[in-house]
Amino acid sequence: MSATVSETQAVITPSGKVRVARRPRRRRHIGATITALVFSVIWIFPVYWMVITSFKPRSDVMTPDPQFVPIHPTIENFVNAVSKTNFLLNLRNSVVVVFTAILFALLIALFASAALSRFRFRGRRTIMVMILAVQMLPGAALLIPQFLIFNDLGLLNKYIGLILAYVAAVLPFSIWSLRGFFVSIPIEVEEAAMMDGAGTWTILWRVLFPLVVPGLISTSIFGFITAWNEYILAFTFMKDTTMYTLPVWLAGFAIPNQPVDYGGQMAASVLFSLPVVVLFLIIQRHLVTGMSAGAVKG
Amino acid sequence: MSTSPATIVAGEGVAAAPRGRRPRPPRHFSKQSRFAPLWLLSPAGIVILALIVAPIVFLVYTSFTDYDRRTLFTGEYNGVGLQQYIDIFTDSQFWHSTILTLLFTAAMVGGSLVIGIGVSHLMTKLGTAMRYVVTIVLIFAWGMPNVASAQVWGWLFQPGYGVINWMITQLRVFGDQTDLSWWNSTPLALINIWMLVVWQAVPFIALTTYAAQTQVDGSLIEAARIDGAGEWRIYFSVILNSLKPTILLITVLSIIWDFNVFNQIWLTTQGGPDNGTATLGIWSYLVAFNQFKVGSGAAIAVVTTVMLMIISGFYIRSLLRSGEDL
Repeated sequence: MSATVSETQAVITPSGKVRVARRPRRRRHIGATITALVFSVIWIFPVYWMVITSFKPRSDVMTPDPQFVPIHPTIENFVNAVSKTNFLLNLRNSVVVVFTAILFALLIALFASAALSRFRFRGRRTIMVMILAVQMLPGAALLIPQFLIFNDLGLLNKYIGLILAYVAAVLPFSIWSLRGFFVSIPIEVEEAAMMDGAGTWTILWRVLFPLVVPGLISTSIFGFITAWNEYILAFTFMKDTTMYTLPVWLAGFAIPNQPVDYGGQMAASVLFSLPVVVLFLIIQRHLVTGMSAGAVKG
Repeated sequence: MSTSPATIVAGEGVAAAPRGRRPRPPRHFSKQSRFAPLWLLSPAGIVILALIVAPIVFLVYTSFTDYDRRTLFTGEYNGVGLQQYIDIFTDSQFWHSTILTLLFTAAMVGGSLVIGIGVSHLMTKLGTAMRYVVTIVLIFAWGMPNVASAQVWGWLFQPGYGVINWMITQLRVFGDQTDLSWWNSTPLALINIWMLVVWQAVPFIALTTYAAQTQVDGSLIEAARIDGAGEWRIYFSVILNSLKPTILLITVLSIIWDFNVFNQIWLTTQGGPDNGTATLGIWSYLVAFNQFKVGSGAAIAVVTTVMLMIISGFYIRSLLRSGEDL
């Protein structure tokens, strides 16, 4: 926004009246505020409904007339979801798989993106376009052959199979995202280091890599969100309930020997969504640029 | 110097891209660093070749075989040439799924774009506090993992005690809809999934467009106003015009994302009733993993990939045309 533009500049309208033109942003329409309120209520309602259902006792969940505020709040549903299911086991699976995959993918993405941004060589553009293209593959296109290959190699129902699939899923995006951070480092930084006699590898390790640490953090958050939320690969690869990750646990949520328990299901949804929503709130400033910077993973 | 042919990597098949504004090479290669990019790229290259390129080649190969349940145990399969493709193209489900995928993608992209761009404009009219509220609301809807939101949808629209069914009944227009089962009829199921996807797609569109809209040159709007343009005229002629590049990018990304929507359909209807909501992705999964006709499922996946590649080809081309230095 150009701040100098006519904050309160007098303008003579064609009818000859003098009026004070102000920036439209400053004009607070009552109508806009009301529309925004209605929109916000509709848009937040699913989240609100999930949260309050999760705090209702079983007898209050299914009532002919829904209760819009919990009358008898309880954490019973959360206790059940954690203690009566495989939650802790599946949480451990998720953490092991997601963190290993992200660490591995980020490390090799760091090297690759350095090569693709700080060096110029034959075939670079082709590689960039190919990396962009593989990100757009439909899920089933990789799922089917990966399943067959991992089945032959005996990697199904094991951490390693899922880790490899997640590395493949987040690597292309990570390279594109990190590359953006490398590109924004001014060339003078490198030249200065070269003047001081630093070689290629010293420049990479001592100068460039430390400078992209913020990029590593934000890229790893995006990668974490993708892998943490991933469902269909885990559902297809992991056959034992003890090997499930949290999305598969949530999708098939049921407390053994009990009828469908929506309170418990919503509590499980809250438990699973909480870390992701918190991350979104923390990085909200970078969300928009991060998602559109050559990013194609949804 | 910057346009000297020596600095341009020639013959990469992207010759149509503008060459003018290419910056200088970052550094003159010393002997030591000549192979540095190769070393740096090889780990990622090996992983991409092994985990993405090889599987895709294997997928195409599988689509020419009769790979099925028996093969998973015995390892035996036979080449069948184009038979899988002939079977697909003569299957009415293929045409149903293709048309459904295209129309449903269009409906989701259109819906989320209209609402998202509308919300973005709305945000420019709000005071700081209210704008903050809208932003937080959007981030909550955006941040919900789609497995969780599919569960929430199942509960919101649950026949019997679902709160949405209760609300529809309270309108007293449609009669008692308490037991309305959203997933037993294809149109209702599609409406339901549409709402789920649009609900989560709007935040990205609204926030991205809003970020761009705050960058619109205020003097253009001022000039239009002096020329006597009304609010609507200003919006459609000046603001939307300035937002064109952003909206184009968002549209292409949305098409790719919505074309690939899987979880939201799988977790609510599994493609039912009667394959009515089976988009190409769902159908290929059902064929490959529920009926275990892997060869056939692979052929569907290949066809789907080709379709998506044609669509995203436009995106890659416009990216190259825009002169972004790759």
